[in-house]
Amino acid sequence: MAGTGSSEIVHSTAAQYAPFILLLPMLAFPIILFLGKMLNGQKVWKETLKEGGLIALPVMGASLALSLWLISDFIGAYGGVDKLSDWTWFTSSMWNSGVVTTEISFGFGVHIDHITVMLLFIASFLCLLINTFAVGYMNTDPINDNRNHRFYAEFVLFCSGMLGMVLADSFLWLFIFWELMGLCSYLLIGFYYERPSAAYAAKKAFLTTRVGDVFLMVGLAVLWDLFGSLDYAVVFNEYNIDKVAASNPGTLAWALGLMFIGAVGKSAQFPLHVWLPDAMEGPTPVSALIHAATMVNAGLYLVARMFPFFGAESMHGELADLAFIIAAIGGTTAVMAAAIAFVQHDLKKVLAYSTMSQLAYIFTGLGAALYLANTLDWHHDYKAHGIVIVAFGAALFHLFNHAMAKGMLFMASGAVIHEVHHAHHHLHPHDDHHDEDPEELLMLANYLADTGQSVFGFFNSIDLDQSGEVDTYEFQTALKKADIADLPPWDMQRLMKAVDMDGNGRINVPELELTLGRVHLASLAGDDHHDHHDEFDAQSMENMGGLASKMPLTATAMLVGSLSIMGFPLIGGFWSKEGIIANTWRVALEDPRFFYPAFCVLLGAGMTGFYMSRMWLKTFAGSPKTEVAAHVHPTNTWIKIPLFVLTFFSLGGILFAGMGFTHWAPDIEYGLMSDKGLIEGILYEMEHAFANHDSFFLVLSYVALFFGAIVGPGLALSLYGGKLDEGETSKPWFAPVLALNAAVKGRYHWDNSAFGSSGFATALENRLYFDHYYDLAMLKIVAAFSTKAAEADSSVIDGTVKTVERTSQQLSTKLRSLTTGSARDYILMAALGTLVLFGLIWGVVA
Amino acid sequence: MEKIEPFGEGFVVALAPEFVLVVGLFTLMIVPNLGDAKFRIPLTQIRIPWFFGGSRAKFESDPRLPGLFATSFLTVAFVLATMSFVNGMNRTQIASGDNVMLQVDEFSRMFELIFYGALALASAASVNRMPATTRADRTASGLYNNRRQVDFYILLMTTGLGMSVVALAQDLFLLFIGLELASFSTYVLVSFMKETKEGTEAGMKYFIVGSVASGVGLYGLSLLYLWAGSLQFSALEVAFAANGMESLPLIALGMLLVGFGFKVSAAPFHFAAPDAYAGATAPVAGVLATASKAMGILGLLRVLLAVASPEATDGAAVWLVALGVLSVVTMTWGNIAALGSTNPKRMLAYSSVAHAGYMMAAITAIGALNWEDGHVNLSNDAALVVVTALIFHLTVLVCFKLGAFLVLSLLESEKGGHTLESLGGLAKRDPFLAVAMFVFMMSLAGVPPLSGFVSKLLVIMGIVKVALLDVTVNSDLSFADIHWVWYLALAMVINSAISVFYYLRVGLVMYFNDPEEGREGPLPAGRPVRLAILACLVTTVFFGVGAGQLIALCESAANALVGAW
Repeated sequence: MAGTGSSEIVHSTAAQYAPFILLLPMLAFPIILFLGKMLNGQKVWKETLKEGGLIALPVMGASLALSLWLISDFIGAYGGVDKLSDWTWFTSSMWNSGVVTTEISFGFGVHIDHITVMLLFIASFLCLLINTFAVGYMNTDPINDNRNHRFYAEFVLFCSGMLGMVLADSFLWLFIFWELMGLCSYLLIGFYYERPSAAYAAKKAFLTTRVGDVFLMVGLAVLWDLFGSLDYAVVFNEYNIDKVAASNPGTLAWALGLMFIGAVGKSAQFPLHVWLPDAMEGPTPVSALIHAATMVNAGLYLVARMFPFFGAESMHGELADLAFIIAAIGGTTAVMAAAIAFVQHDLKKVLAYSTMSQLAYIFTGLGAALYLANTLDWHHDYKAHGIVIVAFGAALFHLFNHAMAKGMLFMASGAVIHEVHHAHHHLHPHDDHHDEDPEELLMLANYLADTGQSVFGFFNSIDLDQSGEVDTYEFQTALKKADIADLPPWDMQRLMKAVDMDGNGRINVPELELTLGRVHLASLAGDDHHDHHDEFDAQSMENMGGLASKMPLTATAMLVGSLSIMGFPLIGGFWSKEGIIANTWRVALEDPRFFYPAFCVLLGAGMTGFYMSRMWLKTFAGSPKTEVAAHVHPTNTWIKIPLFVLTFFSLGGILFAGMGFTHWAPDIEYGLMSDKGLIEGILYEMEHAFANHDSFFLVLSYVALFFGAIVGPGLALSLYGGKLDEGETSKPWFAPVLALNAAVKGRYHWDNSAFGSSGFATALENRLYFDHYYDLAMLKIVAAFSTKAAEADSSVIDGTVKTVERTSQQLSTKLRSLTTGSARDYILMAALGTLVLFGLIWGVVA
Repeated sequence: MEKIEPFGEGFVVALAPEFVLVVGLFTLMIVPNLGDAKFRIPLTQIRIPWFFGGSRAKFESDPRLPGLFATSFLTVAFVLATMSFVNGMNRTQIASGDNVMLQVDEFSRMFELIFYGALALASAASVNRMPATTRADRTASGLYNNRRQVDFYILLMTTGLGMSVVALAQDLFLLFIGLELASFSTYVLVSFMKETKEGTEAGMKYFIVGSVASGVGLYGLSLLYLWAGSLQFSALEVAFAANGMESLPLIALGMLLVGFGFKVSAAPFHFAAPDAYAGATAPVAGVLATASKAMGILGLLRVLLAVASPEATDGAAVWLVALGVLSVVTMTWGNIAALGSTNPKRMLAYSSVAHAGYMMAAITAIGALNWEDGHVNLSNDAALVVVTALIFHLTVLVCFKLGAFLVLSLLESEKGGHTLESLGGLAKRDPFLAVAMFVFMMSLAGVPPLSGFVSKLLVIMGIVKVALLDVTVNSDLSFADIHWVWYLALAMVINSAISVFYYLRVGLVMYFNDPEEGREGPLPAGRPVRLAILACLVTTVFFGVGAGQLIALCESAANALVGAW
């Protein structure tokens, strides 16, 4: 839904091309899917096009290029001005409803402001990098062979969903793309749908976010009722907000609150956070995509979008409670997720909880910023203005830093898992052989044993044409007869392949005998070997250690990313995290309720320091914990490129801070770049961070630093890691870290097994039993309700539908029987009609 | 407004598309007969070549020639009509003295686009429907088919000519002449396949019921003439405004409604239509459902709006209730009857009855407008919106309804298309046709973003706008204040929901059923008809997604009609 009369303005060429940012990936979706179906298995497709990866890559590159063009245009020429370009489907002047009386036009429009630009860059940049990573990750794993086209197709659709959501100019389109992402997340998390755990995780993610989405939809409906439109141009219009604020500000608060619940679901915040850790079931690029580039940012984006309501003068103070709720939910999740991350052994799960916790930071920051915007007189007071802008900017800047760092961390963890997995394969190549034996063959072997038939006799009985060889059709018939399975042709081919040793498409006696014998033996010997293979978990940190010498680049990336997330001085997330903590405390000084989130984020800083250090140390430092970890090799170039690029983005945090990213706010008057030069800006930020004039904030920043950079990591250093093995060398920049680790561990080593066996740790390992109780609630309440609903559906609803259908069919037959086929009857009916017509006209006149 | 005497200066230029058709008609008649025949002057040995008969040149004796000619002349006429939009419409009246006969403006040209477009597509599609064979084929049916080609296309051209006269007419009598010219041509076209029992029977019934309706309409016409002394629209308008409540014009109006009711196949005057659609070849049935229907709606619009409205009895028109009841009965009847139809052509016939109901509902809404002082501007706006919606609907109907018939025409050429089962497995047999048919069905059902959705939405929004007009004036919304035509929109929505059932069933059969026995192979090739289907498909989608342009065009057409009041 684009625009009103004012939306005709198009300021620049870049904005006109903006829709292509999302259209290109959207068009790539059917193309990849279609080509994948057509060319599946062919060499061109597999080698040259990487099963679609190299179609997606240029498309995402083009999206990024267009985005950069748009962003530079926005910053350069029109900085601070909101622009719209739209494609109108059709316009109608039919409805004048509610507050706003404008023409409604149907179409898609692009809304560009500071928030858009920030998210747009994050999404398009990371999507491209993750795509590059995926080419190195997905296409080198045999398990994905011949189905990567599905991955890439869904991948580009996911990206276009995110880009569309960011660019959309109305809440309706936002919602549409929001749901598109929900669908794609379902498909991608369940990419390995043959695994029950993946299918379950996909379902869980979809349903949990759906709970939030229902609230979002209701919230949007309320918003529409208030404004008569969902276009940004209408709802963000100050005049319209004033009008609504004058009549029913409480309703607006409710609408925004309901929408916030949608954001809670999408961004996996307490209490709708349960889906995120399970979402790790998808391939690693999907995790990176969901956690860094797209999905979870959507919730944050939605909350950030609400700024104009909070910032409006006429809503002064009305929305403070909602801002507190946002901050409180953020604070709670930050501590809770960090605590759970303490005890995770799965590398990706640590990162998942870290994502949850860091998103919670951003929510807290947004809550504080929105509170300030809602309660301070920032429209007139210059100082208050600065405070609001910086508070909001800190939250958005943390979104940026976190996305960059987390994208890198996930890809690095993917590289580690990938290589550990490969090393394992290399060491135990025979392990996955049995996977290929279809269970039908075992059933067949058992069937023969049970009925006492010889393989030769059975073979003769199924060789219908007595050709001496059995073809697919004959085999299929036999299986059907033996009551083993009635398989469709494609499954039969799989079965044939397992038996057919010479690959001529037919089976002879020795082939069948050998195969069945092997299958039978394997089943008798038990599945020890098999289980052993399954038990090795390439994602568990217990199987790693000492990888710093094997995968130096990955280790570097992980180190920088972890430091950025921890808020280590000068690196990436430090600048924004300090800002969030400071601003939450600033609000707490005014409103005591905010002491809760303020303490949470302060505590969370220390916890983050601990679990991130723990993760790095367990993976990369110390000596290898398994034989596999000792044989890991560096990863391939496709994977290295994005890691390399992102390392610099995280290291360069100070540059972004100096460029005024902390002043990033949707405010027209305040330019998005601070008016200082780069050096000046850096000095300014340094001064603010380390030598604040306000003694309260000075103390606060050092306390936060103490927790986040000394206490947390210090504990981890004393517990985990250690020196690399003798003879293992690594890059020089690891030397201080490893030396410090060894020193601390040597001096302060203490036993934490007491904690490890405590009830609290067990509770944490069980994710504080959230899933347990949710399942229970589902079983008790929802399932019971569902049963009743299903009954009602089949008897009442289906019954009604069936009755309506039957009656209307009967009516239809009656009506059609009036068409007798005789012209006399037709004329008779026409005459009757004429009389009725005259009657009606005469009735009106008389 | 430029005025031109008949056959005066600029006459041909102003009516260029129509003259193309006339030239085409003569070409069709003359060219296939040209030969080297000579005429011997009696009592002498002098032979004067006069070219009719004798042995003919190869190209003109090709039996495919008439189809080619007709298609190209209709296309040229279509292009010329389009050009008049491109170059800026030159509104022209053909009048002798004060007696205005024809008027060229955006409105009439828009309808001509509909007519010519539909006829050109049908003509292209018929090339396959009635296979012309080479001269070498000396079998009786081969020769017979060849000789009939020219008749068929001449009738198509006269249909077009008659329809464009209806579009241009400014005089009720002239309008009637055009209507009858087109009708008579279609009567013959329906029964053109006289070898088949259904074709002859259908044509006969269509003719009988049609003549009765025409007779009633003509009687109404003569009563009007008796009363007003003129059948000029302008004169009738004045007469109605002065004393339209006398009984004579009201009786005449009722009779005219019957006449046009048959043309748009409104219930209960629609009975012959399903028979006619089922008996005619699919392209002809497509013309009946689109161009012929547009002609009927055009006549209704002209008569009811230009003649009987603006009329003042509580601000609403006399025929308001009558037409409203008629429209609801029509759309419901059509949809309910279509629910159980197993013959796709009859199903489409009933669906076209339902569509007639939708369009009559829109016209009813115009009748509800209040034309008293102080309301004129608002009412004018609302009428503009409704007429725009109506024209848009008629235009896009050509894309998907005709398209659906063309798909059936390909099935007909393998003796199918009369049962739903013959569509079975179409998705496997011919994916293009199945996709096209499915899109057409979705568009008919009104699924976004196809053009059928836009057209239905525009019509419904138009009706709602009219219903809410008084409310918006007083800006004090209360349900009781809403005009009852609002219920027409509601009826439309409910009816659309019903209709989805039978439209979707076609998709179901095409995609999930197996082909009938003996129909497993691919369908006949038929390049022209496939091209026509492709054109329909592209426009169906394009006018849905890019509706803006066409809406603007329709709005200019509607403006020409509404602005003239």
